[in-house]
Amino acid sequence: MGIMQTDRTLPTNRLIFEGRRDAALRARFGSELEALMSEYGLSEPEKRALREIDIRALGDMGVHPYFLPQITRLFKGAGYNHNQSDAAQLYARKMNIQE
Amino acid sequence: MATIVSVLALAHAPGATGWLDRAPVHEQEALIAGYAAMAKRLHESRPDVIVGVANDHMLNFSMNNVPDWCVGIADQWQGPAEWFRDWVNIAPYRVAGHRALGRAIVQGCAQRGFGLAFAEQLEFDDNWSVPLHFLTPAHDIPLVPIHMNCVLPPMPAPARCLAFGRVLGEVIRAWPSDARVAIMATGGLSHDPGGPKYFEVDEAFDRGFMDLLAAGDSARVEREVSLERMMAAGDGGTVELLAWLVAMGAAGDCPADNIFYVPSVPLRCGMGGMAWNLPL
Repeated sequence: MGIMQTDRTLPTNRLIFEGRRDAALRARFGSELEALMSEYGLSEPEKRALREIDIRALGDMGVHPYFLPQITRLFKGAGYNHNQSDAAQLYARKMNIQE
Repeated sequence: MATIVSVLALAHAPGATGWLDRAPVHEQEALIAGYAAMAKRLHESRPDVIVGVANDHMLNFSMNNVPDWCVGIADQWQGPAEWFRDWVNIAPYRVAGHRALGRAIVQGCAQRGFGLAFAEQLEFDDNWSVPLHFLTPAHDIPLVPIHMNCVLPPMPAPARCLAFGRVLGEVIRAWPSDARVAIMATGGLSHDPGGPKYFEVDEAFDRGFMDLLAAGDSARVEREVSLERMMAAGDGGTVELLAWLVAMGAAGDCPADNIFYVPSVPLRCGMGGMAWNLPL
């Protein structure tokens, strides 16, 4: 993974790009994730990884690294995003790294 | 003709406004003092307008069509974009744009070989919200935001960023106006959002980079700065320093002062700022 491995055409990249810009779409991450993923054409491995917030797998598939902590914030909240916050700790756990 | 009265570069990481209280007191104080010193340099130059250059965090340009640079030409801007308000902990604000200068930059750069995108609407996140919060909290100096691609390959190479900066400076100085123009690059220093170095800062790289730019020798910068070295210091974030190279190009080969540097793991970023000493 890494920015050089970004797959620009990966459906998940479009979903995350648009989700950060569209509040209505964002609301569906919690309530209608399965339908949303199908609408955007995610592959089965992408769906599994996003469903499980498996951000390492998403990174390996070509999701841009910058989106990965944003994915944890989409699910865990973006406010007060210090290193012990739920979103940052989820990132650390999924990436198997520590502060 | 317009005059470039100051050229600055500084970090914009969201922790500075979003969770600064989680940093040790000495880091908080050094950061606040550093931003205050940057604000002093800006205001002493009495700018009528700021031309900003900063990474677009893949917020405005879908991956199917990403420009190297996009000039905001609107009369009015607002931020932070909705989803980023809690993150940066900054209340909604408005800041005037400067359509005449934005358009002059697009046209002048086209005539000199740089085809820039331009936009009436751009979403702002930490890229402008954080530096404006510290440098112009009243949001009373018009802004021409230039969003650039620092993180989605292929990014413009360091030499091209320096070349763009030289052309940007030339275009501003040729603009038929008596305006006083500040150039403000934001981004960096070392950080790795989305990578394995999320909780690391590369202080040695940051200090070396700032010292290199401060020496004012762009030929040396071209030889010694590479995308690969930047990515090694933080794959997904350190490359925002490409915007600083645009600032250096616009300043010309003059030395700069390192105003502050705070390597902050709690803020997940090497936080720093510098200002060029422009010839009178």
